[in-house]
Amino acid sequence: MDRIYRVGIDEVPKRLTLNEQEHLRLTFIVMPGVSAEVPFEIKIGKAGVNLEIFGLYLSPRNEQVRFDFTVRHLVGGAHSSQQFRGIVGGSARAEFDGLVYVEQDAQKTEAYQENHAILLSEGAVVESRPQLEIYADDVKCSHGATSGYLNPDELFYLRSRGIPEEEARRMQMISFISPVISHLPEELKEQILSRL
Amino acid sequence: MENLLEIIDLHAGIEGKEILHGINLTVRPGEIHAIMGPNGAGKSTLGAVLAGRPEYTVTSGSVSFNGKDLLAMAPEERSWEGLFLSFQYPIEIPGVSITNFMKAAVNARRKAKGELELAPAQFLKLLKDKMAFVGMKGEFAKREVNVGFSGGEKKRGEIFQMAMLDPVCSILDETDSGLDVDALRIVADGVNALRSPEKAILIITHYKHLLELITPDVVHVLKDGRIISTGGMELANKIENDGFEGING
Amino acid sequence: MTDEKDILAAAVEKEYSEGFVTDIEQEFVPKGLNEDIIRLISAKKQEPAWLLDFRLEAFRKWQTMTPPEWGHLSRLPKIDFQDIIYYAAPKRDEDRPTEIDPALMETFDKLGIPIQEREVLAGVKSKVAVDAVFDSVSVNTTFRKTLAEKGIIFCSFSEAVRDYPELVRKYLATVVPIGDNFYAALNSAVFSDGSFCYIPKGVKCPMDLSSYFRINASGTGQFERTLIVADEGASVSYMEGCTAPMRDENQLHAAVVEIIVEKDADVRYSTVQNWYPGDSKGRGGILNLVTKRGICRGEGSHLSWTQVETGSAITWKYPSTILMGNNSSSEFYSVALTNNYQQADTGTKMIHIGKNTKSRIVSKGISAGFSENSYRGLVRMNPGAEHARNYSQCDSLLIGDRCGAHTFPVIRNSNPTAIVEHEATTSRISEDQLFYCTQRGISPEDAVGLIVGGYAREVLSRLPMEFAVEAQKLLSVNLEGSIG
Repeated sequence: MDRIYRVGIDEVPKRLTLNEQEHLRLTFIVMPGVSAEVPFEIKIGKAGVNLEIFGLYLSPRNEQVRFDFTVRHLVGGAHSSQQFRGIVGGSARAEFDGLVYVEQDAQKTEAYQENHAILLSEGAVVESRPQLEIYADDVKCSHGATSGYLNPDELFYLRSRGIPEEEARRMQMISFISPVISHLPEELKEQILSRL
Repeated sequence: MENLLEIIDLHAGIEGKEILHGINLTVRPGEIHAIMGPNGAGKSTLGAVLAGRPEYTVTSGSVSFNGKDLLAMAPEERSWEGLFLSFQYPIEIPGVSITNFMKAAVNARRKAKGELELAPAQFLKLLKDKMAFVGMKGEFAKREVNVGFSGGEKKRGEIFQMAMLDPVCSILDETDSGLDVDALRIVADGVNALRSPEKAILIITHYKHLLELITPDVVHVLKDGRIISTGGMELANKIENDGFEGING
Repeated sequence: MTDEKDILAAAVEKEYSEGFVTDIEQEFVPKGLNEDIIRLISAKKQEPAWLLDFRLEAFRKWQTMTPPEWGHLSRLPKIDFQDIIYYAAPKRDEDRPTEIDPALMETFDKLGIPIQEREVLAGVKSKVAVDAVFDSVSVNTTFRKTLAEKGIIFCSFSEAVRDYPELVRKYLATVVPIGDNFYAALNSAVFSDGSFCYIPKGVKCPMDLSSYFRINASGTGQFERTLIVADEGASVSYMEGCTAPMRDENQLHAAVVEIIVEKDADVRYSTVQNWYPGDSKGRGGILNLVTKRGICRGEGSHLSWTQVETGSAITWKYPSTILMGNNSSSEFYSVALTNNYQQADTGTKMIHIGKNTKSRIVSKGISAGFSENSYRGLVRMNPGAEHARNYSQCDSLLIGDRCGAHTFPVIRNSNPTAIVEHEATTSRISEDQLFYCTQRGISPEDAVGLIVGGYAREVLSRLPMEFAVEAQKLLSVNLEGSIG
């Protein structure tokens, strides 16, 4: 099952419980100009569940975006991954709260979470609180969070190949967000890329 | 001559699935046995069961080693008794240097035998000698156990550990797999140099390349969890020409 | 066949070998906390008026505060602060006021702490100057003369107040303000003794400095205060150790450590924390609630924290660095091991203010038994922290399926030229690793110790040699207590 939520346009659920063995892919998109709080809690109650969450936030001006995500592994043998990417500029503020919770005895859980952000300007703020709370030992869990800027070596490489700076930067941004949009329908993808 | 290893009607498996359906095998001191067989025949299971890998369960049969009940022993007791398993996939232990790992192993065995720990100078000499023996350079001793090792380094590392621990019976589980000709030669030279009338070696392999370098006394063919044929080097040659399909019990 | 659980469970119970009590006559102030008690402590220490005022101000602040509850510490009991004795000191022998009581000498000897210079000079112990603190007072500080020749001041906090009041006033509470947090305020009100260390401009301290804290008396708490100042271009390596008797009651330890690092100075601060952790049922143990913070004030200054936390029933501790000077740098290397019912909530804060400031965090948590082990951290890049960088790696190792391992980092970036990277992983000792070790003849208990030591190596290798050996031993010993 593949569900896409455009925050500010589509209705976004606050809670989900997965009691069937299923493969679920959720994508949350926050487009430029959208300020929002996105609280979301998902409980995994069935072994064999494969949950993939993708998140994109583009906040170039003065947006205030906050993700508050919790993934609870109540039983073992399920897989969850979360991949968030954001580009934040102007005086925008993006916050990411992400908790991965693994219940006692939820053995053989695999849970991964990542939030990567690019800061474009002074005045912009990114705050990440990725959290792991784990009570079972036979698990594979990890999280990663980074905050940085577009790689100048990469930019130079592109420009040395004759690509104008503006275009090169745009390419870098496309490359940065591609892991969270590559699975989206072409039309939506185009729409996102046109806003970079 | 006394039997060193005597396996009688061994049934064993993993997660409730029987893989070995009655293995019978006798190894005497000084002998080299090769166990050949296709993928999934149970070759690695045999090595794992003999070394006491916890995930495997023995359902029936017996194994005596040096006249003792091998199956009643914990893995480290089997090691102290002189059994060595060269792993097909040696395990990484991050942060632990080869030196510290070997020191722990050598001294644990000495302690079990009621001997004093080796003095640091003695230990270092032993370490250096055995490293030279497998052609390892000085910095090898400082590396973390199997971490970042190439395939060849891992296998050579296993032979190095074998030399360090000086076992009476070594089981080489696919030690030749993934090795190029040069690496294979180093491994074979190492094993040949460790041969002695008191010691036995069990070579588990898919191919006969290693057997051309380490000539076995006996060749067994393991298929579907049973030894279906036993002979000499001619059996290995036949497999090389005709494949395992041609061998019947 | 043994499975992994049996192997881990087979580890033998090991006594906390530092858990003895020294039989010595001690004097106490009455139980409880009020302004009179604070005046009494101050009077006992013959303190100047400004310090009494400092204490009273802190006490008044503290009265308005409440204990923090955000730690992942469900077993932290409600502490009755009126049920604690805030000052306990061994009685001085009236006839020989300058000599160290033989019972104290014996105590520190038993703990392996050289409180006399001759042991060190005879080459028995490695060359390190020690300030030994027993309950509320410093017993002795060695090598003061040798150090004084270089202009280095290393003495008990009380002596520093008496002999160097200007220095103490200049720096005290500049990094940890009196009202910083509940426990720091408490410490500021009642702190008894601790170490003071000043390394003058351009001086490289010729030997490691160390403080050893020993709780002995029952019903007391220990509230030491440590202040380390490294002036421009100075460098010092400082180590801290601590132990306490085994008791069924909890005892409070609320210390404050402040470190000031001036331009181009370098301070390396190491802790091996081995307070009594409580028994295997979770009875007793030290409540270790401490505030440690340093400031890299000058350009190019450097402060590194290395901690090995194996003791205490409860650990609440976040050695932190304020990176104010441009090009300053700091590291936090931590191993925290919890077993039985221990709970640790520990980590660091790296506050980047200056340009080109760098920080690195390496945290290795090991949880066993029924324990809970949390990493909690903050990395903040302020708007002016141009080109600042942080890298954090927080790993958790679980031993057994009844313990918990948690990671709670906060990353706040307000500078578009700063880079922050954080990674965390959770793992356990694999059956393959255990089997590999046992196949080579290493017993399962030793194998666990070996693997955990390897896991923690990156941190242990940062410790001064003798400390590292001690820490490695502690890890093994503490793991041996009823795993699984």
